[in-house]
Amino acid sequence: MHSSTSNSEFDLTTAPAPLPSPNARRRPAPRAAQSDLDFTRVIPALPWKGIVAATALLTLAATVAWEINARTHGYAPSLNDTPDLWAEQRNRVEPNSIVLVGTSRMLFNADLDVLEEALGQRPVQLALAGSSPFPVLADLAQDPSFHGTLILDIVPAMFLAPAGSPPMAVSQKALRRRDEWNYSQKWSHRMGMDLEEHVAFLKQEDLSLAQLLKQLPIPNRANAQVGPPLPPYFYTVDRDRRGRMVEQAAILGSPLQQRVAHGWLPLFTMPPPPSFIPPEQFGKMMGEAIEQRFKDTAQHIATLRARGVKIVFVRMPVQGPLVQKEEAIVPLAFGWGRLVQENGVPAIDTNTVPELNSFILPEWSHLSAPDSVEFTKRLVPHLQRALGAVEVPAAANAAAPRPTSG
Amino acid sequence: MLFNSLTFVVFFVIVLTLYWTLRSWEARKNLLLAASYLFYGTWNPPFALLLFATTALDFWLGARIAAARTPGQRKAWLIASLTSNLSMLGFFKYGNFLLENTKALLALAGIAYQPPHLDLFLPIGISFYTFHSLSYTLDVYRGTTQPTRSLRDFTLAVSFFPQLVAGPIVRAVDFLPQAAQPPKPDSSRFIWGLLLMTLGLFEKTVLADTMLASAAESVFSYHGPLASLDAWTGVLAFSGQIFFDFAGYSTCAIGAALTLGFHLRDNFRFPYAAVGFSDFWRRWHISLSTFLRDYLYIPLGGNRAGAVKAALNLMIVMFIGGLWHGAAWTFVVWGVIHGLMLVLERVLRHIFKDAAWTDRLGVQVLLGLGTYAVVCLAWVFFRAPDFGSAMRIVMAMVGRLPIAGDAILPTREILQVMIVTAGLLAAHWLLRKTSMEAVVARTPRWAVTAVWSVMLFSIILTQGNGNAFIYFQF
Repeated sequence: MHSSTSNSEFDLTTAPAPLPSPNARRRPAPRAAQSDLDFTRVIPALPWKGIVAATALLTLAATVAWEINARTHGYAPSLNDTPDLWAEQRNRVEPNSIVLVGTSRMLFNADLDVLEEALGQRPVQLALAGSSPFPVLADLAQDPSFHGTLILDIVPAMFLAPAGSPPMAVSQKALRRRDEWNYSQKWSHRMGMDLEEHVAFLKQEDLSLAQLLKQLPIPNRANAQVGPPLPPYFYTVDRDRRGRMVEQAAILGSPLQQRVAHGWLPLFTMPPPPSFIPPEQFGKMMGEAIEQRFKDTAQHIATLRARGVKIVFVRMPVQGPLVQKEEAIVPLAFGWGRLVQENGVPAIDTNTVPELNSFILPEWSHLSAPDSVEFTKRLVPHLQRALGAVEVPAAANAAAPRPTSG
Repeated sequence: MLFNSLTFVVFFVIVLTLYWTLRSWEARKNLLLAASYLFYGTWNPPFALLLFATTALDFWLGARIAAARTPGQRKAWLIASLTSNLSMLGFFKYGNFLLENTKALLALAGIAYQPPHLDLFLPIGISFYTFHSLSYTLDVYRGTTQPTRSLRDFTLAVSFFPQLVAGPIVRAVDFLPQAAQPPKPDSSRFIWGLLLMTLGLFEKTVLADTMLASAAESVFSYHGPLASLDAWTGVLAFSGQIFFDFAGYSTCAIGAALTLGFHLRDNFRFPYAAVGFSDFWRRWHISLSTFLRDYLYIPLGGNRAGAVKAALNLMIVMFIGGLWHGAAWTFVVWGVIHGLMLVLERVLRHIFKDAAWTDRLGVQVLLGLGTYAVVCLAWVFFRAPDFGSAMRIVMAMVGRLPIAGDAILPTREILQVMIVTAGLLAAHWLLRKTSMEAVVARTPRWAVTAVWSVMLFSIILTQGNGNAFIYFQF
């Protein structure tokens, strides 16, 4: 112990001497001529080579067994749709890029190959599952180098989600990752992708330890304010973040299709207002926040258009009980209608276009992988018309497409 | 880079392979130095220059202190070292905090002052490497070490990658002698190092991040009134999370250093089995508490000038200890709570010094649980984003909310926290008078194999979410 402690009863920091161990070997450390400290660590006397070999074998066996189990349950190797993958795509945005922004509906429904062939360049997929695209829109508006094309998928209930809500957090997390992305994280991400393309159990949203614990059937307290669970793994992404619904989820009546479809209903149900804010006050706060969102959106759209960015709003197909659920949260005329009219950009409500609304959405919200290709082919002429259209100032909103009920 | 990242796994395998392949000790140290700067530079390369500048300056100042002919000159060079190190730390870590508090003070005097907001990135690990480096000039000044002639060795001592960004705070006097001659290859030491790294990663990724972090985050970020059960669960979760996170990092660092043949001191010794706060600080973040003892408390006079001065010195030390953790008054309150408890403990020890009943097991356990409860209470201020949040949680914990609190945690998370906390406390109490090495030495080999395998497989199951260690922000 340091000699200078002898003047002290500063017993909060008087470190006890290393404890002896009857079966431990003490290994001599190089001694310092000047140091009066001795902190040679004790190495427990065990047959370490045998232990490490047995540990490696056991761990390998368990890992292989877990991989087999995952594949048996329908999992296949595919990338995790992580903020890293998103950040990588965001960094690919060039001044003239075509950028897809939105929710999982854009992620699933827009086929990048078809769009590349039709529009002359491969779009950058920046849509995020479960997100409000507003923060991404703001990010692009604040990027002075970007003056390409923006195709924005709008689900009003998600787009207008208040600050602090899960949909906003998803986008903000991805943006933060991109802002703070360091070399170590980039290298880990690249190595991680190589692993994920070969190992089926690497599914962060479904098979990680944290997610497995969430699947334990433990009922919550009657008064617990716990959010509904997110849907299980039901889509894959590639390195360009082209999302595809897995085959099982697209089969009507399959357990996975049922789980996903019925998982949306609680997620698209307005949560109760917080107990600690009077309902009138909360309603007023929400109203003001939504008005502010409309204003901020108009400002960002104006900024983008001033830079020459071509913008198209798209409302992707939605079916079944989700139509009513979404209407109950944000009425279509109020959300989609105002956004279209106040911003005066070309808009396509696919729910009102016969050749686009005739697909069956297996879980009411997204297209199956094969249908997404055909859907995109049919969407292309509408996009081309919209992108070629002369944009109108917001004030002349009568010229903008009128929203109709989906 | 983070220990819990694929990049580190590859980096570490390459470094270990090259290190034990090279024959020249000088070449191995050069390799470690390059690896350490690469380890640090992957966060933000320019900050590696700052790290080197701090190191080089202290190397030079250490030589000047040793060469000084008069006490006045020695002191002047030491002040130069203290000033350069602490001003660097102060600028990056406390710049905005100082400006904001200056604004508040001037406002009290009726002067309106709008300070500029310094848009600063805090260099990762600056609090740790500043102390690594500063310990050298302080020890040279105190005459407890001679200055090294090797800038490379000193640079390696400050930047040695296992302990660079989140401790333990390794003093140059501990490290430099080990850099004098090469360690001999030792398979047992190497494998034990790997086992310690596994344990550290298990603590971080499984226990802290997977089992506890979610409940702590939910409770401490909630803006409304909390049910008492939820408030307690969140606080217990954070209490476990910060232990497993920080002790996990230290264990990884100790293990990584061992695989390279270097010995680092323990930084934790089962702190939640502490009986009293002086015992707690013998067990928690030992490298910081001994640093503050040797370089602050004792120079302030320690307890040599009477009980009142000793109490004042304790409060000063814990005030600064709190502020070291972060530029916010909540950290200061955390430090002050610990300081007050240390003073109270000294008073009680004085009163009950002859009372034999205090040594009874039941009393010790009660005192230990009491210590843990107050430690948890102090963690509320450490973790809460502001005083309002902290007071809301404290009020909920003691059931003094004016309205019914909200139940926000799933039952599963509550069970996770309770099970892990019970296991943590039981383990600390069982091990409080021994060491992990001693326990492992008498454990059957099949049990060591099984536990190690479970830890490894659990780490694989977490799928490496790459969360940063909490203490990186300090």
